[in-house]
Amino acid sequence: MAQQNEKMAYYPGCSMDGLGKAYQKSTEVVFRDLDIPMDRIKDYNCCGATEVKNISYDLSVFLPTRNLALAQEMGAKTVIAPCNGCVYALARANKTISEDSGSRERLGKYLAEADLPQYSGEVEVKHVLEVIRNSVGIEAVRSKVSKPLKGLKVACYYGCLYTRPKVYTGAGLQSGKDNPEHPFFMDELLQAAGATTVDYPVKTICCGGGHTIADREVSIGFSAAILNEAARAGADMVATMCPLGQVNIEMNIPKITEQYGAGIIRPVVYFTQLMGLAFGHSRREMAIQENLSDANGVLKRMGY
Amino acid sequence: MPIHEKSLIDGVIEKDSAVVDGVDVSGRWNTFIKERLLTDYHEDFVQEVKSLQGGKTVTNCWQCGTCTSGCCLHTDYGLREFNPRYFIYLAQTGNVDELKKYENVIWRCISCNKCVERCPKGVKVEEVVHAIDEVMRKRGLAEDTPGSRWDRTYLDNIMVTGVLDELGLTLKYVRSEKPADFTRGFMARMAFKILKNGNVRTGPIRRRTKGWKKMKKVADSILEADGYGSTK
Ligand code: SF4
Ligand code: SF4
Repeated sequence: MAQQNEKMAYYPGCSMDGLGKAYQKSTEVVFRDLDIPMDRIKDYNCCGATEVKNISYDLSVFLPTRNLALAQEMGAKTVIAPCNGCVYALARANKTISEDSGSRERLGKYLAEADLPQYSGEVEVKHVLEVIRNSVGIEAVRSKVSKPLKGLKVACYYGCLYTRPKVYTGAGLQSGKDNPEHPFFMDELLQAAGATTVDYPVKTICCGGGHTIADREVSIGFSAAILNEAARAGADMVATMCPLGQVNIEMNIPKITEQYGAGIIRPVVYFTQLMGLAFGHSRREMAIQENLSDANGVLKRMGY
Repeated sequence: MPIHEKSLIDGVIEKDSAVVDGVDVSGRWNTFIKERLLTDYHEDFVQEVKSLQGGKTVTNCWQCGTCTSGCCLHTDYGLREFNPRYFIYLAQTGNVDELKKYENVIWRCISCNKCVERCPKGVKVEEVVHAIDEVMRKRGLAEDTPGSRWDRTYLDNIMVTGVLDELGLTLKYVRSEKPADFTRGFMARMAFKILKNGNVRTGPIRRRTKGWKKMKKVADSILEADGYGSTK
């Protein structure tokens, strides 16, 4: 599609070099297999997630803006982010700068003070999932599959901030964006990889990751709901696309087991890990062993 | 008219059967609200919410309730008493006495943005809810909450090097808040797994964002202007 010749900058976000390393490794492999370039923004900084904005509005826009300005300096027209929280923060900064002249002026001043290039909201923000689906297309993905995930039932979990809110991300309003109420890009990709994706009602519910430790009751409640509904729909595992969601659900598994029993527990994996397996890479290469939940059992039984 | 959201009203009277002036009014008409007198509205409350960047859209709300009906928290998985539509109503009318009752509920908004996604009036509900919480605390109507302490710990953490140190953040927060199920054993197991995989950037292997010093200076001045003390 259109963006194929346009330069894309990759904003990993803090998690990809930390708890989400398995996501990073598997994304790198999938990108390589599909010939999608990964040009990192070298000296990226934290996007501020959803926390900083509760303390300082200006700082919560300034932090992601620095990354966007650096991407623009690299000559990129698009920033790719693998984390829902980053997509939200970057898209929000874009919107604020391009639509609110007061904020734009203040931000311009801050950027100058920090010796950064000026920025006025032109770089488009995309999630890794959107890029994989749109830049090469489903057919290209299918043609790469050498070990289809036949018989594997997956519950695709999209989470909150991938498309939400559309006023920031443009989902449902711009082409190439997923449907904000009924997202389906991950389902399409994993189906192309040979898996069966199940329909279940909490695809876009919150996982509670924003308050994993600050509000245990809610975080456990949401994570349990996701696992429970996935299990009810007959899924073998849950696939995620956000390091925060992944780690949050995984960290809650011991408590969920205690409260609701082991029957509803399903291992949680990144969707890129599953794609990599279908492309013929080993479990070790996909860093399945690094996940906090154990998907090895299911995958071994499937012959991976 | 039937009374909606009865749970929000103090002093709802419902009888099994009732006869008023010889007329049987059993059934749906059989609900009454205790007579009450509400005074002490803080009319400037909503102005203060509106003066915050995040709270700008508070007055756009026309109380349709779309946000509450879709809110992830307002479900059986979360907390039924969390009701963003109602918080906005209370803020608009300046009914701080009632708002105060939700001191321990408002902060629990999980920032999932379903409300912002669906609001037909362009209210940034999630940011407004946080702005209401902030004004409550500014006015001394609410204490610091686990949520606000989490936000501060997070900010302090990223301000050191420009990137998040997840393990450091977790350890610091758990040490001061002591959530019941984050026991030593649990933390040790997690830490072991994470360290074994090398998925950390804490302690000596902490990475820095190059050029962060300059950035931090500007960030600090923004925070100071916003009334936030220095980041440790
Ligand atoms: S959806 Fe918007 S307009 Fe409707 S009650 Fe909520 S904030 Fe108000
Ligand atoms: S962002 Fe907060 S108020 Fe809005 S739907 Fe989510 S939990 Fe509810």
